[in-house]
Amino acid sequence: MAETAIPEVLPDTVQEQQDKPRSDLEPGFLVICWNDPVNFMDYVTHVFQRVFGWNKSKAQFHMRQVHEQGKSVLARESMEKAEHYVHQLQKYSLHATMELDT
Amino acid sequence: MKLLRTTPEQVVFLLGNREKELLLSVLRLYPRIPPAHQQLSKNPERLPDREGGQRLLAESLAEQRAEQQKRLRLLIEDRRRLSATQSGWELALSPGELEWLLQVLNDIRVGSWLAAGSPEDLLGRITERTAPHIWAMEVSGSFQMGLLHMLEGEQPA
Repeated sequence: MAETAIPEVLPDTVQEQQDKPRSDLEPGFLVICWNDPVNFMDYVTHVFQRVFGWNKSKAQFHMRQVHEQGKSVLARESMEKAEHYVHQLQKYSLHATMELDT
Repeated sequence: MKLLRTTPEQVVFLLGNREKELLLSVLRLYPRIPPAHQQLSKNPERLPDREGGQRLLAESLAEQRAEQQKRLRLLIEDRRRLSATQSGWELALSPGELEWLLQVLNDIRVGSWLAAGSPEDLLGRITERTAPHIWAMEVSGSFQMGLLHMLEGEQPA
């Protein structure tokens, strides 16, 4: 991801779905955003806010995960919803995919 | 590029002559990302409907590209959107149009990066072949950051 100012983020980002029993969530597909050296960090934050409706600090937390760890799991969803999110993220030209959660 | 005024319906920017020419030159490059580049999954064999899912994505992105091209043509040709004033050129966009302009600019930026060979280090990769792609990346990126700063309520540097 191309460098821009890295904000101080106090994450409020514990995945909400972790509270639910796994059996309630299956079958599940992970929506993942992968790092690349071309998308600006501010742009990625903006896209996460637009696509998922997140506040800025949550969007920045995931953006930093992408930048520092190479990827971030943005959501765990049904196939249809995961497809929807990947379509939206790719319309912004982010490197996003859906993967079966096992 | 300067933010002149904002209303709930419209955001109006002022562009200098050179900026306007640069913006139009770079927008004419759209679309730049090859359709085959955009994949639904890194492990498509594990998806229930591998081919159907990829086809849906390709159709959705193709529809978006066609729509964006139509909007771009209108933007470039519509004198009410891009009009000459004494101090330069005024560009008027609705908030929705701002969003698709960001998408278009990022398509150009990412597609140009791919065309340049996806370099990790841009400066080390400037050659006669890659220079036009790197130029397009930098110009589209500059307008993109300008728009983002204005969305945040800041004037771009």
